[in-house]
Amino acid sequence: MRRFRAVALGASALVLLSACATGGGTQTSSSPGATTGATPGVSCEPATGESTENEITIGSAGFYEAQLMGEIYAQALEANGFTVTRELGIGPRPQTYEALRSGRVDLVPEYSGSLLSFLNLECAEEGAEAPTGDPDQTHAALTGRLEALNLAALAPAPAQDQNTFVVPPEVADEYGLETMSDVTEVAGELTWGLPPECADNPVCGPGLLEVYGIDISELDVEELAACDTPIAVALDEGQVDIGQLCSTQPDIQRFGLVVLEDDQQLQPAENIVPIVRADLLEANSELADTLDAVSAELTTEELLELGVRVAVDQEDIADVAADWLSEHGITE
Amino acid sequence: MEFVSDVLAWIADPAHWAGRDGIPIRILEHVQMSGVAVLLATLIALPAGLLVGHTGRGSLVVISIANVGRALPSIAILSLALIFTIRYVGLGFWPTVIALVFLAIPPIVSNTYVGIREVDRELVEAARGMGMREREIVTRVEIPIAMPVILAGLRTASVQVVATATLGAIVASGGLGRYLIDGIATRDDVRIFVGAFLVALLAIATEVFFTVLTRAVTSRGTARQGEIAPEHAAQAVRPGGL
Repeated sequence: MRRFRAVALGASALVLLSACATGGGTQTSSSPGATTGATPGVSCEPATGESTENEITIGSAGFYEAQLMGEIYAQALEANGFTVTRELGIGPRPQTYEALRSGRVDLVPEYSGSLLSFLNLECAEEGAEAPTGDPDQTHAALTGRLEALNLAALAPAPAQDQNTFVVPPEVADEYGLETMSDVTEVAGELTWGLPPECADNPVCGPGLLEVYGIDISELDVEELAACDTPIAVALDEGQVDIGQLCSTQPDIQRFGLVVLEDDQQLQPAENIVPIVRADLLEANSELADTLDAVSAELTTEELLELGVRVAVDQEDIADVAADWLSEHGITE
Repeated sequence: MEFVSDVLAWIADPAHWAGRDGIPIRILEHVQMSGVAVLLATLIALPAGLLVGHTGRGSLVVISIANVGRALPSIAILSLALIFTIRYVGLGFWPTVIALVFLAIPPIVSNTYVGIREVDRELVEAARGMGMREREIVTRVEIPIAMPVILAGLRTASVQVVATATLGAIVASGGLGRYLIDGIATRDDVRIFVGAFLVALLAIATEVFFTVLTRAVTSRGTARQGEIAPEHAAQAVRPGGL
């Protein structure tokens, strides 16, 4: 799940301008069968581009984790005889997706659930499937969705970057918490840090009620955005007992927080998955195998570790990627 | 222009005027946070500025603080301060207020310092010659003459605080920032606009308040204020505006 950065005041001016430009109030999705997406600049036409054997351009979103994944895939392909051009850090998903679709880049590392939701929103289709907590179902739905767009999803990594509820170790010990189901009984005794949009978000408020029997309207809640620094600090300082972080967020390790298992799979699956143009895949028969072997080695815990090295220890992304690849025997 | 009608409809909706998230409560919370922050900053910065302005010692410190305060965007100052303050004073009101105090100090201290320095030294000497004690000189001679410049510093600080208090919503504070931050989280452009619009109105109201206050408090003899000596011009905020 993409992290929401607290947006500076200046950005709200830009949002106002863009709101006027699109002439709309709240975001709407496009009508089924539309060729342009709901967001300006996103097209729903199939992907195009030039495919050359053993040559590939890899792009990524701006966030450090996306760039790290792009760099890992890039180095793995270089070790297997590819000439790789990097365009990492393109921007938010609409821009990165359009870069892939227009052929400016050939491959982008993505998150299965978020990409599927994005495509459903931008390019609505009859009978479109939404992501679920099941990684296999989500990946299959995504693959099906991408076919008509001349895109393909390679094998997903076990690693996921999802929203996840975490507690400080003292709270886990006191209430004996290991899974979200354990929380149901004691929910009323905890102070919760929940995002402001939780009541409206199907996988937050309504989902907690339906799946875990937790009614957020009866809880003691502080409004704090998920996956961000204030909620992590609030958890560390004991100002809230339970909050939402991202499963690969370095603060989990930095503050020694305990991740609660989403045993009923409420949160949509967000496996790391390389998305590539289908015709380029055909032109390069070894591409899928090479990258599948890389993805298979990546777990959530490992991605968290790598995140700590990049975001906390401020190490160079290329070095961290190189170390990981050689540790796993993919490169020398 | 569908957006404009959406905004008007939002404002007209009585549900948005009631309850914890209603416009009156949010404005009140915003004014409270801003007011307390400016008050605390004044309690710290005003005496400091008076002391350094009157004695002339420690001016380097004042100038440095003023320059750093001017160079760093208020958003940066607040974001940095918030991550620090929530560790010590929890969430919501107090970390936001304390962070805003950091923001408000530089304009107040630097304008107070300049205002006092600008007072004609001959007047100060004359007062000393008349047997006035130092404290009396400050309160009866220097402050009345420096009042417009000091108030200009308070005005700048207050408007900045009102505008930047919105960021407190990131650490679960109330105020008009909730409309901005929650609107961004729920992608509700109307709510974002209303929040920004109300903050702008509040900032303008703050400006007007200080304009009226300055006029009321400035004695007629000093009403021609507007000139600041060149060597001090860089530090002060001109009374006429930002």
